Amino acid sequence: MPPGPNGIALEVRDLRKAFGGVRAVDGCSFAVPGGKISGLIGPNGSGKTTTFNLLTGIIRPDGGQVIYRGENLAGLKPHQIFGKGITRTFQITRIFREMTVLENMLSVTGLGVPDRVARERAEELIAFVNLAHLRAEYGGRLSYGQQKLLEFARALMTDPDLILLDEPAAGVNRTLLQHLLDQIHRLQEGGKTVLIVEHDMNVIMNHCERIFVMDYGVKIAEGPPAEIQRDERVLDAYFGRRRN
Amino acid sequence: MKRHEHLRNLAALVVVGLVLAGVPDSLNVYQRSFLLFTMMYVVLALSWNIISGFTGYTSFGHVAFYGIGAYACAILVSDYGWHWLATLGAAAVVAGVVAVAIGYPVLRLKGPYFAIAMLGTAEGTRVIATVWDSLTHGGLGISLPSAETSFETYYAMLALMVVTIAAAYAIGHSRFGVRLNAIREDEGAAEALGVNATVYKLAAFVLSAIFPAVAGGIQAYKVLYIDPPSVFFVQITIAMALMSMLGGKGTVIGPIVGAVLLYTVQELTWVNFPTAHLIAYGLFIVVVARFMPRGLMGLAIDRGWVRKGMVH
Repeated sequence: MPPGPNGIALEVRDLRKAFGGVRAVDGCSFAVPGGKISGLIGPNGSGKTTTFNLLTGIIRPDGGQVIYRGENLAGLKPHQIFGKGITRTFQITRIFREMTVLENMLSVTGLGVPDRVARERAEELIAFVNLAHLRAEYGGRLSYGQQKLLEFARALMTDPDLILLDEPAAGVNRTLLQHLLDQIHRLQEGGKTVLIVEHDMNVIMNHCERIFVMDYGVKIAEGPPAEIQRDERVLDAYFGRRRN
Repeated sequence: MKRHEHLRNLAALVVVGLVLAGVPDSLNVYQRSFLLFTMMYVVLALSWNIISGFTGYTSFGHVAFYGIGAYACAILVSDYGWHWLATLGAAAVVAGVVAVAIGYPVLRLKGPYFAIAMLGTAEGTRVIATVWDSLTHGGLGISLPSAETSFETYYAMLALMVVTIAAAYAIGHSRFGVRLNAIREDEGAAEALGVNATVYKLAAFVLSAIFPAVAGGIQAYKVLYIDPPSVFFVQITIAMALMSMLGGKGTVIGPIVGAVLLYTVQELTWVNFPTAHLIAYGLFIVVVARFMPRGLMGLAIDRGWVRKGMVH
């Protein structure tokens, strides 16, 4: 599916969400380029995960728009947004623990898809993330890294166009991480748009083409990795303002 | 699951059905009643399991649907002169409509809040049945025209049980069932992965309501007298839950095994020691909760006797 006008896959406009007195996302705007891997970074509590939850309908925004293919998704329910071709993983994995790996996969595909097709796709993706030997094991019995892989594979069941990954690297060993990153690149080469929230700067700086930096609920900077690394505002946000 | 395994299981169900269909002539009234009530509890436990086992919404008020079915049958037979078999269809429809009306608001609640809301629902239906004199004859209850019904009701309950087992089996082994499981495991994640939880939960709730309603209708025609305390009896809900949990909720075979086992134990102890079955219930709850929280089937799965996952 081609990205929207000007190669933009997803545009966030003035997004707002307050929890009581805390303005978690406070007028955040950015545009995710289509067919590329982008990163969303920021210090703890800067509003990254809340932004993901707003984009996927887990929480309803107080204001602002999420434009995807010319349509405003703000306020839609999670399953409706999923139906538009946007999928996600979670910061702390939310695999279905007392369901097998295969069942975790099959739970995603709508009932309109024939059983045989869903199963073929599931088996293919389970192999894609090297979990074939665990296909009949309960999700809860997998190691944390394997759960991350399962969640990643599960998010791909319906061949989504936009994939939001919330800290895919956290708790994953280097070998698995390299494998995961390879898969992410393969998706991007296949024309998918990927947006990653991540604290691991190696992942962000080496794998993202464009980076958005959030602090106190707003975007404070954006650009390619080399630029972001030198950006004063970003350094301030992470390390505090330098004394002159 | 492979095609030949489904066929084998279907064949097993047909054989059990045929055996149960062949025996009533050689049994006395008590034995027929015992089998009828055992089959009824299989129906109730399997139905409860659809919403509470597959979907994870533990209902403490499922007797409401059983009572509604019993009343639908009794009212239509005694006041409107319907043939009792026709009332069973009406019982299913009424329970289905009530399930939608109650389920839509109540299924927004989770965990203990849902459980207590259902407990309140069951009590509410009992009170309505008691005070709505013009429809339900209130606390006096309803007597049905007397007849020897133990053969008819036996066959009706057998048919209902076979249908309920087939339905529970079909749900449990389908992707619809897998999606209900996903709601049980993590509703938020399921929704983020495209499951319209509201619709799925409501569908599961309606399915779990119609079979107990039909069972209630058959039972009303079997005992020929119903009143609010007897058909909105909270212990029936507890039995449904306990049977499912003992056998293993979230499976198909578990509630069947649990119902047969627990009802047999209850009947044996009840005959010899009138209140001992309550103690037995208490002991079962403690033993199941402490030593096998996932029931006999959970134990069998952990031991490797039974395969994990129903769609494999």
